[in-house]
Amino acid sequence: MNIITLIKISWRNVWRSKLRSFVVIMSVIFGILGGIIMIAISYGLNEERMNNAVDTYLSHIQIHNKSFSDDYNIKFKIDNLPQIEKAINNDDRVVSYSKRIILNGMLSNSNGSYSIQVKGINPSEEIKVTNTYEKIIEGEYFKSKRDNTILVGKKLADRLNLKIKSKVVITFQDENYDLTSLLYRVEGIFRSGNSRYDGANVFVRNLSITKNIPNFSGFHEMPILLTDIELRDEVKNELIPYSSNNIVEAWDDISKDLAYANEMLAAVLYIFMMIILIGLSFGIVNTMLMAILERKREIGMLMSIGMNRYKIFLMICFETIFLSLVALPFGLLSSYFIVEYYSVVGIDLSVVEAGLENFGVGTRLYFKVPDEQYYIVAIMVFIISIISSIFPSLRALKINPVEATKTF
Amino acid sequence: MIETKNLSKIYNPGKFEVKAVNDVNSLFKEGEFTSVVGPSGSGKTTFLNCVGGLDNPTSGDVYIAGENITRLSGSNIIQYRLKNIGFVFQSYNLIPVLSAKENIEMIMLLQGIDEKSRRLRTDELLNQVDLYELKDRRPSELSGGQQQRVAVARALASKPKFILADEPTANLDTASTSNLLDIMSKLNENEKITFIFSTHDQRVIDRARRVITLEDGKIVSDTKK
Repeated sequence: MNIITLIKISWRNVWRSKLRSFVVIMSVIFGILGGIIMIAISYGLNEERMNNAVDTYLSHIQIHNKSFSDDYNIKFKIDNLPQIEKAINNDDRVVSYSKRIILNGMLSNSNGSYSIQVKGINPSEEIKVTNTYEKIIEGEYFKSKRDNTILVGKKLADRLNLKIKSKVVITFQDENYDLTSLLYRVEGIFRSGNSRYDGANVFVRNLSITKNIPNFSGFHEMPILLTDIELRDEVKNELIPYSSNNIVEAWDDISKDLAYANEMLAAVLYIFMMIILIGLSFGIVNTMLMAILERKREIGMLMSIGMNRYKIFLMICFETIFLSLVALPFGLLSSYFIVEYYSVVGIDLSVVEAGLENFGVGTRLYFKVPDEQYYIVAIMVFIISIISSIFPSLRALKINPVEATKTF
Repeated sequence: MIETKNLSKIYNPGKFEVKAVNDVNSLFKEGEFTSVVGPSGSGKTTFLNCVGGLDNPTSGDVYIAGENITRLSGSNIIQYRLKNIGFVFQSYNLIPVLSAKENIEMIMLLQGIDEKSRRLRTDELLNQVDLYELKDRRPSELSGGQQQRVAVARALASKPKFILADEPTANLDTASTSNLLDIMSKLNENEKITFIFSTHDQRVIDRARRVITLEDGKIVSDTKK
């Protein structure tokens, strides 16, 4: 008997009990669907969180003075900046960049003081790199003619009860570690989608800093936006030689927790998917054991007339695998269409807005499943179906043809 | 030729042992048409199981064409059954998902016979059992008598030396029984195939040329007509 005949018999056997096969197939379809939607939500949340971080504050690459990260003294400025700017301006892979003065200090008003990081920016440069201007929920993004206006995060504004035109004082240490205070008026309040960021960062014009600190020039941070995030390591490595005093970091070097979450996500999702499929495999095994019990006489007869154990084993294996393989394309296709739909339309999660903001995610979730995940899920289903087929097949081999056929 | 020498099959050896077949010596020559009869529990089915290599005797030997089949290992006995013995079951035991033609062809597929030879043999057998017109029907679309005729054709497909049939007419009406027995008699006469039946059915006993009666696992009579 050739393998094609065995496959043909197995295929027809699958459809002997249509209702039972249908129930198993539907359970596998829903298992695949559930698993892929779980993947879609996880990847969607993670990508949203990563994009939010990259667009709002990380960018693709950042350059700092090596000592700045340790001390945060304003004297540790980016070294060899003109040469770096020249290189970046001539690089087609760079979309835009900005130069920031960073001050670590306190923001105070009559309601209290909070530790913050002040980003001194050139608004016209900054809007090409970060999207904070799109996140203004009250006031405006540096449209005032005054120099001493400030943008504060919603969380910080709530903590200090800040309104538009409220006055605040920023206190920080200058190059000589002497305290310096600058007065600002709130021009805008932003909500980035990351409440931790909103509670600890403010934006001012860099002019407002340089005007008030005599003899200060230069910048502490240079965020760079590239045409493709995947080019970050390539560009980073080319920028490193410009100064040994600088540190050039890609987004995943700066925010290691985000990078780690990205790496871990796939592994964790495979584990969850495997748990779902193992659960399903018990259903498949149970169904096949029932089918074997019902067909004991027939299997006994096949053994009697000369079908060897290997072929009996293969026949039951094929039947079990077919159950999963029939479900697989339907499960993948239905998942694909649902994922595609919600990757465009998104799901409104505003009911859990506060929790998501703490997590650094906006209120609209867009599904995302990388193409390779579909292949991996297909392979996992195939492997699980093969494993599921072994036990029923072994049980079939234990059938005694004399007892099974009764009359023979 | 089939020969059993001191064939015994004892269930539950030890405390509650049951001697289903008790020291049976018998000889079946080529072309015989034999009925093995006896009351329920007399050991007819166990005897045929041992002769067909489906069950291992507790002691004694079964020789088929001089070969002691009780000494064959698991895979060898399967191959032996496949090539030399045809089985007809009381409840037909056809594969429900295959058509009549495919059920017959299956034995030949197991034997690895090429497609052309298979097709020719299947058509020949379907004509012999008068089912050619119904060859594409599945067992559920055939009557009991028709199914048993397919089972006979299946048993003959591998051109076995002999056919063992256990109560083949037990589930059939008179007309179907008569039709089946006609077919089997014709095959026996024309193709010299040895048939051994176990049966209660007087109609089968009447058609047999030899009747062996078993009681408590022993042969109590062996008559030739």
